[in-house]
Amino acid sequence: MRYTFGVIKLFEVFAYSGQPKSGNGNKLLRLSRILAVLAASSLVACASLPEDPEARAEAVALNDPAEPLNRSVFEFNRGVDTLILRPVSEAYRQTLPQAGQDMVRNFLNNLKSPVVFANDLMQGEVDRAGETFGRFIFNTTIGVGGLFDIAGIEHHSEDFGQTLATWGASEGPYLVLPLIGPSPVRDTVGLVADYYLDPVAHYFDNVDRGNLNWVRAGARAIDTRSRNIETLDDIERSAIDYYATIRSLYRQRRKDEIMNGQNDGTVPMPEISLETEDDDLDEKYTLLKTE
Amino acid sequence: MTFMIIRRKILTSAFLLALITSLSGVAISASASAKATNPTEFIADLGDKAIRTLADTSVGDASRRMKFRILFLEGFDVKSLSRYAIGRYWRKASKDQRGEYQRLFTDFIVNTYANRFGQYSGEKLDVTGERAVKGKDTIVQSQIVRPKGAPVRVDWRVRLRKSGFKVIDIVVEGVSMAITQREEFSSVIRRHGGKIDGLISELKRKTK
Repeated sequence: MRYTFGVIKLFEVFAYSGQPKSGNGNKLLRLSRILAVLAASSLVACASLPEDPEARAEAVALNDPAEPLNRSVFEFNRGVDTLILRPVSEAYRQTLPQAGQDMVRNFLNNLKSPVVFANDLMQGEVDRAGETFGRFIFNTTIGVGGLFDIAGIEHHSEDFGQTLATWGASEGPYLVLPLIGPSPVRDTVGLVADYYLDPVAHYFDNVDRGNLNWVRAGARAIDTRSRNIETLDDIERSAIDYYATIRSLYRQRRKDEIMNGQNDGTVPMPEISLETEDDDLDEKYTLLKTE
Repeated sequence: MTFMIIRRKILTSAFLLALITSLSGVAISASASAKATNPTEFIADLGDKAIRTLADTSVGDASRRMKFRILFLEGFDVKSLSRYAIGRYWRKASKDQRGEYQRLFTDFIVNTYANRFGQYSGEKLDVTGERAVKGKDTIVQSQIVRPKGAPVRVDWRVRLRKSGFKVIDIVVEGVSMAITQREEFSSVIRRHGGKIDGLISELKRKTK
């Protein structure tokens, strides 16, 4: 309970720090209020943890107190995806040649470099910060404003949600935000912070071209979606509970990203402690029979 | 910034390609029963056979499905996987329910992955190392090298059974098949009032 309260406070801080600036602060204030309400609704749900100790432990581990609300938002997002994002992405992929698609991606990645750089530094990853910096300089100049990725150093991404995680913040309750998708409390805070860290976003706002921020976000969404059409179709087709699958995938991928993929024994593998021994091995072959 | 949207949802997804490739990979392995003497050899062998079989387009759909089923049952510790996937609900299940669930679990996996065999496009499995983990398991580390795009990181959790080495989990770019399945299945059971019959009927529907 205290935790949820803390979260609301945190959003207030974000909201008010944004106020002095033009209309954009108001937008964020509104967003923060919505988030505060979401957080509060999860607080209400907290009250109804199951009695049974095992079920209770499961619910705590799941940490999705606003699940019914999250599921509705998830379905809404799915609708938007089916009606708009997926068809647009498919058209994009079919119309623009691969080289053009790569340019779009390179440009967007390059534009995000300052945020990645700042997060690299805040995580104490000096080498990776250097990589990001070097890429930015090369690609912005010789790479014609970032259209070409010629730096010869592999691109990586970082965000403030990950930075918070490396500082020891736990993920917080799972949330699904309208249009944004899975974004637990920590990552939602990260989203807001990244916006503040982003000089490009500030620049667009300052020259009164805030709509370019939307264009940019839309381009990013289409770029990403267009590269995952088959993959997501597959996941959806094979899922019995698509929501639960995506929740699980999101969390595991985030954990891996936070570790920068370096989970060499430092991340505990799942405890697969099954008392099953080879006792009933013969039984296995009955599974060979199809019906 | 709102539209950062689905990017996140999608980040999670790149894994599936790998999962499919690796699973179908493993699947094909088995039957040639020269027993591996260490986990690395076991996985390398598995990958080898998998690719050979994947590249063979002369197999019909029905026989491919059956082949996949046999290979999956031999290369994977299916009983452990299926038990792990429903966690605490296993104990509450009757003998009949367990039997039916395990058969459906196998159907489900076979159904999910068998159709994708035709999509082999030159991927290779490179085993890059192994490390021991708590208990008796070994993690075999590997990469799926694709003709196009970055290699995909795949860890195989291997356990020695009386009948030889068995895969008990695949972790693709940090995403564990066992954990994903467990979270999905227990969610299904929960939403059916904690009854395993709920999952059984969903699996039936899915595997029809």
